[in-house]
Amino acid sequence: MDYIYFLQLTANGLVIGLIYALIAVGLALLFGVLGIVNFAHGELLLIGAYAMAIALPAFGLAYIPGVIVAVLTAIIAGWFIYEVFLSKLGHGEFERSILITMGLSIVILNGIQYIFTATPLLVNTEFGYAGVSIGDIRVAWTRIAAAVLSAVTFAALYVLLNYTQIGRAMRAVSQNRDAALMVGMQPRKIGRNAVILAASLCGLAGAAVAPVQLVQPYLGQFLVFKAFAIIIIGGMGSIEGAVFAAIALGVIESWIGGFFPVVWQEAAGFIIMITVLMLKPSGLFSRGGMRVG
Amino acid sequence: MPFLAVTVVAVAAFLPLVVTSSYILSVGVTMFLYLVAAMSLNVIYGLLGLLSLAHIAFWGIGGYFTVIAVMDLGLSFWVALPLAGLFAGVVSIAVGFPALRLNRHSFVVVTLIFALLTTLVARDWVSLTRGPMGIPGIPSPYFFGHEIAGAYSFYYLAGAFALVSLLLLYLFFTSRIADTMRAINQSEDLARSQGVNPTAYKLLAFFLSAFFTAMAGGILAFNQRVIDPLIFDFFFMQAFLIMVIVGGRGSFVGVLVAGAVMSILPEVLRFSVDLRMVLYGLALLAFVTWAPNGLAGWIRERREERLRSELRQ
Amino acid sequence: MNSATPLLEVEGLRKSFAGVHAVDNMSFSVAHNTITGVIGPNGSGKSTTIDCISGFQRPNAGRIRLDGRDITRLTPQKIAKAGLIRTFQTVHIYEAMTLRENLLQAARPFQASGWVADFLRLPGMRREVDAAMVRADELVDMIGLRKYYDAPTRILSYGQKKLVALAAGLMPKPRLLVLDEPVAGVNPTRIREIEEVILNLHAAGESFIIVEHNVEFVMRLCERVIVFVGGSKMTEGDPKSVQQDARVLEAYLGIPA
Repeated sequence: MDYIYFLQLTANGLVIGLIYALIAVGLALLFGVLGIVNFAHGELLLIGAYAMAIALPAFGLAYIPGVIVAVLTAIIAGWFIYEVFLSKLGHGEFERSILITMGLSIVILNGIQYIFTATPLLVNTEFGYAGVSIGDIRVAWTRIAAAVLSAVTFAALYVLLNYTQIGRAMRAVSQNRDAALMVGMQPRKIGRNAVILAASLCGLAGAAVAPVQLVQPYLGQFLVFKAFAIIIIGGMGSIEGAVFAAIALGVIESWIGGFFPVVWQEAAGFIIMITVLMLKPSGLFSRGGMRVG
Repeated sequence: MPFLAVTVVAVAAFLPLVVTSSYILSVGVTMFLYLVAAMSLNVIYGLLGLLSLAHIAFWGIGGYFTVIAVMDLGLSFWVALPLAGLFAGVVSIAVGFPALRLNRHSFVVVTLIFALLTTLVARDWVSLTRGPMGIPGIPSPYFFGHEIAGAYSFYYLAGAFALVSLLLLYLFFTSRIADTMRAINQSEDLARSQGVNPTAYKLLAFFLSAFFTAMAGGILAFNQRVIDPLIFDFFFMQAFLIMVIVGGRGSFVGVLVAGAVMSILPEVLRFSVDLRMVLYGLALLAFVTWAPNGLAGWIRERREERLRSELRQ
Repeated sequence: MNSATPLLEVEGLRKSFAGVHAVDNMSFSVAHNTITGVIGPNGSGKSTTIDCISGFQRPNAGRIRLDGRDITRLTPQKIAKAGLIRTFQTVHIYEAMTLRENLLQAARPFQASGWVADFLRLPGMRREVDAAMVRADELVDMIGLRKYYDAPTRILSYGQKKLVALAAGLMPKPRLLVLDEPVAGVNPTRIREIEEVILNLHAAGESFIIVEHNVEFVMRLCERVIVFVGGSKMTEGDPKSVQQDARVLEAYLGIPA
């Protein structure tokens, strides 16, 4: 019985870890390509989650159309934010980028709270609360859908970053900005692509998380602080590091939550992060340390 | 200018004799505490350009320290409050020393992590802070046998605290110490080449800003009569930061005016908290994008332009 | 101040970046009350040497002594306090401060009063400010910018800013002032003014090291000239002998000796 409980925890942890990864990868991408820390990242996710919550009833609870609407909404928001604010930032205007994204975060979060109130929304899908049982392990369909969605996204992301012109350009800028600019890459176009990609990942994460957790205005902030910890553990700007750290953290949190007081579940991420910072100030996976600065 | 300052102080001092609405007086209490906290942030961020997100931590630490010192250790409020300031100051040195070793970007990251960590401690170290439910029933402080309770007496307590703190901070902002900080902010290499040790000034600034912010947080807790982890709400940090940016980083008068207006105006217009924050956020975006040096900077730039054209003739 | 010990003594200095020696086995010394010029082609290690002497770079090997005192591993601020002040190739001044404030600020670290005296405006602090004001008055007249005394230095021209940086370096009356390309990008009439200023100060007992690309400027001004090539000293001597040195011509013009 004990090992089944353990497997159950692991399965839940994997799902949460994959969602963390969707968020953290976007943060790492923006840090790498634009050199900014995006405080409005959680609010992009929030936009995705609320879009999902509104779209689902409109489509008769159909899951996939809801996800598409959520992703598109987040992309439009990200694009707007890039064109109006982020594109005006010079590379290395680190503090200004924090202030601007913090401003955006305040406006979006409180705007949503003003419109939808702080009352949590319960999001129902075509799957309802049904689940699937493998032996004694039971996983809800909404969780499986979230995991499959994330896994497919990561496969697509891998192909995009490694085998397409757009993705290679982003990686090039993130690894060696000066060299990339020297060979004539256009930072504005690449920056826009990175923001759109990160926003779509946020929208997807929002859509995935909406049926799994209650949708309320502080959902994004809660998740994004975790994502900060994750990209620090994974090495600022490292995408592989962020994915690995996110999944590991999801599973570890789930285990801790299953066996210890819930207090330690939340503290886990921070304790790991601080340990990593002390042992290796540039993060576990980083190649060249913090690239801003 | 001194005449204006004396007039404002006098009006503020006699206000409770005319206005009896405890709602208006409580807006005053909040304004006094925000002004001190925003001006404290203005020391480290305005004078030295170091964006500290740890202020929310010092604010909360000050609140919890004062409450615990009074309720669990039996200290007098008047002893506990400055002790809370000193304690936060010592913590700021302990955080600042490693945070300043890398660069100004890592300073932002480390102060953010510190802020998140203190929230966690307040929520999870239940034996000390009583966890998420907080500590209710905070007793009233007594001032020579006179109980300080309710909006009327807290208006005077917070007002006197703000007056003394802001006077001290004004002396500081107009001192040569602040000038050296401005110099470090403009060119750290030049300051070093002239014999200035920047780390000492950065730690001093961080200490002072933690000291005053923590005491403001302590008064806030006693005014609320209850303290819980919500005192670490990022809302406070955002409000202080926006006051500093709108007023103009490094400007004493600018931040004073912006802080007062931004504390009072939303109350006068009866905005809900969400709507107020949306407007704060829009103000932050607008200023950072179009007038990064705030109101004071905008005025200074106009004056410089005029001077430039005069001198060029 | 023993005149037998040189004012500045550099011995076997080495600094490498990623395995490449920018400066290697650099040795030279500078006597009291002199104007010493340092010239050399690009990449000869001039800037790196200045950065090492002033503490902004840590040398990998070697010794640096100021008036007999070892300053090799000190921080820039301690070296400045020991009496060696440098200026920067790209103009470094406090652009948001007035000219007067720039000069007073430069004197500040050399004054005795501490934070408490500053905060409380004690009489000792006021006396210091008055003394610094007298010095600033002298210098502002010397650089001829009294008109801009209370204007923010941001509005000054490039050449004027260079003069402000020079005056700020002189505020604390350093034992040795190292000027990193003081006339690069400055128009010719202004260069004459700067020459004048330096000569006047030299007559008053000030010592200078001048690192410059403008060879004519160095030859006119300096008693001794040191030539750097490839990260170490190639030769030194009075301006005339250096100018006639065949190796110097080769290094500069690529003419084989």
